[in-house]
Amino acid sequence: MKRILSVVLAVVALGALAFSAEKIKAGFIYVGPIGDYGWSHAHDVARRIVDEKFDWLETVYVESVPEGEVETYIDQLVRQGCNVIFTTSFGFMDGTLAAAQRYPNVIFAHASGFKRWANMATYMADFYQVYYLNGLMAGALTKTGKIGYVAAFPIPEVKRHINAFTIGVRTVNPNAEVHVRWIYEWFNPAAAKEATEALIAEGCDVFAFTEDSPTVVQVAAEKGLPSFGHYSPMYDFAPDYVVSGQIVHWEKIYEDFLVKIHEGLYTNKNLAHVDYWWLLAQGAVEVGAKPGMVINPKYEEALKAKKVNVPGLGEVSVYDLVFIRLNQMADPGITYDPFQGPVYDRKGQLVVPEGMWLSYDSLITMEWAVAGVVGPWPGEP
Amino acid sequence: MKRIGPFVLERKLHPSRATVFGISVLSVVVALLVAAPVFAGYGVSPWKAYEAIGRGIFGSWPSFSEVLRRAIPLILCGVGLTLAFRAQFWNIGAEGQLLAGAVAATGVALFLPVPDGLKLPLMFLFGFLAGAIWGLIPALLRVKLGVNDVISTLMLNYVMAYIVEWLVHGPWKGPTMRGFAYTDAFPLSARLSYLPATRVHWLTLVLGVVLAFIVAFVLARTKLGYEIRVVGQNPDAARYAGISFTAVLSLVMIISGGLAGLAGVGEVAGIHWRLRSPSHISMNYGYTAIIVAWLARGSPVAAIFTALLFGLIFAAGDYMKTVLGLPFQITGVFNGLILFFLIGFDLLMFWRVRFAQKEKVWTSQAGS
Repeated sequence: MKRILSVVLAVVALGALAFSAEKIKAGFIYVGPIGDYGWSHAHDVARRIVDEKFDWLETVYVESVPEGEVETYIDQLVRQGCNVIFTTSFGFMDGTLAAAQRYPNVIFAHASGFKRWANMATYMADFYQVYYLNGLMAGALTKTGKIGYVAAFPIPEVKRHINAFTIGVRTVNPNAEVHVRWIYEWFNPAAAKEATEALIAEGCDVFAFTEDSPTVVQVAAEKGLPSFGHYSPMYDFAPDYVVSGQIVHWEKIYEDFLVKIHEGLYTNKNLAHVDYWWLLAQGAVEVGAKPGMVINPKYEEALKAKKVNVPGLGEVSVYDLVFIRLNQMADPGITYDPFQGPVYDRKGQLVVPEGMWLSYDSLITMEWAVAGVVGPWPGEP
Repeated sequence: MKRIGPFVLERKLHPSRATVFGISVLSVVVALLVAAPVFAGYGVSPWKAYEAIGRGIFGSWPSFSEVLRRAIPLILCGVGLTLAFRAQFWNIGAEGQLLAGAVAATGVALFLPVPDGLKLPLMFLFGFLAGAIWGLIPALLRVKLGVNDVISTLMLNYVMAYIVEWLVHGPWKGPTMRGFAYTDAFPLSARLSYLPATRVHWLTLVLGVVLAFIVAFVLARTKLGYEIRVVGQNPDAARYAGISFTAVLSLVMIISGGLAGLAGVGEVAGIHWRLRSPSHISMNYGYTAIIVAWLARGSPVAAIFTALLFGLIFAAGDYMKTVLGLPFQITGVFNGLILFFLIGFDLLMFWRVRFAQKEKVWTSQAGS
């Protein structure tokens, strides 16, 4: 009996040992505070989801890390025993790469960048398809034909989103304009408020934005104007006025990546070509006023009443069009893309020829403005 | 003199070194005691937290080197500010002067076709000049037009921050950065080397320490230093003695701004290897240096030590965020408390509390 017990104990101990060897301690480095209700907040929500889901996973995080300091924080996380480290700002790219070379046994993943290494992958959840769907709705709801867009920085990511949004608007409302205001901050409620008020004064009556607070939604709602939430679900801030919006699910990427490490598929040797570019089809982004609510019921009637003639589909309501396009893009064999040619920039140049789709490289380096965008556009070719 | 019950408070003009050291240590200890409930409130035992921070920072050379690294820009800016403050010129603009140096260094690193060996020397030279020019503008504005130096130096910080922002979004946006607002990375010849196993760009550190001693020498032993002190301590006497305010204040701000410019060169050539958003380049070093210079009481050499103290506070904050997993606001509260007590206890250095009978007080007052 005693012998059996000792064997059992030994087996259990061995099992525990093997298990602990597969334990993952993941460190997350954020550029902003987790309370910003935008980018860093969304990454942290995702971190907590995966942390709770897997008992082989332990997570730690550091917030408000200046870009030049990322290596210092990586050093500390490694010293603390982290064997997987996520860095979530483009500006962390070179620091993360240097650290990946210094710590070949640690696995790194860098969000939104393009440099990889044997032990460093890249990942991004992008919204451009979702902005297009929101654009369809915005085009149907505007009465003045002017839609306001409060934008953070004139970089390709934001330009791509404004363009996709405008293509959606113009599909439904060929003469509508999207008026853009840049605020040159990711998080600045005061500037977002001023920009929204200026756009309202210009006659804009529907709003979309790229900024890490619900300010635009709130300011528009005060004037009784509809808007689209950004990054986090913003329905609760103005239940009568948030039509839809963009919602991110970083946890889909984190879960996939960490499970593959846990199962031994990803190691510190084979990540040089691992790049997540996850969209609607992978569930990394969602269209909706809040999870599960694609369109706020208050706006269903107006969207059903507006009919458009779409090549290949005939006359459909905007409401139906949103779901047709959503299904086409959410289907694993994606059959539609917003940047499907022909697409003209606002100077009249053909940028996507008939029947063509944009390559990944063209998407992430996009500098042009599509026809329908109004306002300054720094770096316009 | 002030009387509280049986005690009198007496003003001391020159506290001994032991008093300064003792009271500084006391202020940090009190700050740690006051911060303890904050840690406890977050479920972290304060004693364990302090022990972890202490062991974390002093436990290994790579960790301790972070103190030195964070002190480098503070030494350079702080030394320059002690000089300006001695002349009673309130330079709140080290932040902008630092950024000016960073811009000039980036220009040389990326766009000036010079041999590799000349890259770094020219970066430091142009960085000094850019900081000096940015410092000279408010000096001339004050001497020629009577513009308040606090306002003009402060406002020029924002001007320079927006110039940096414009450069990285506009003409200097790096072709290899895929549209993101950064310049391209510096060539290897424009990067500073590190002490082994650290990120301490030692050349800038050595420069800061050497310049601190040179500035101290200038202040104490040269005609210029004498004039600076007279202008600061008694402007009327300076005017009467025929000292040129234009010349003295211009030189002071050329040196003060130039030193901050060198700090900017160190940050881009040592840490970032590119120009990026101004808030990530400087992290308020130019503003922190004001307190560095103030605590150093106008002594350039003392500024080395107060800068190191702030390097330590910053490094402790970094460590708290990661190892103790505390929210970044707690780090801010902790750093703020230490500062608050350092500055608050400062008063104690200049007052002596003495037990005294009433009569004695009167006689001593009559005698003085």
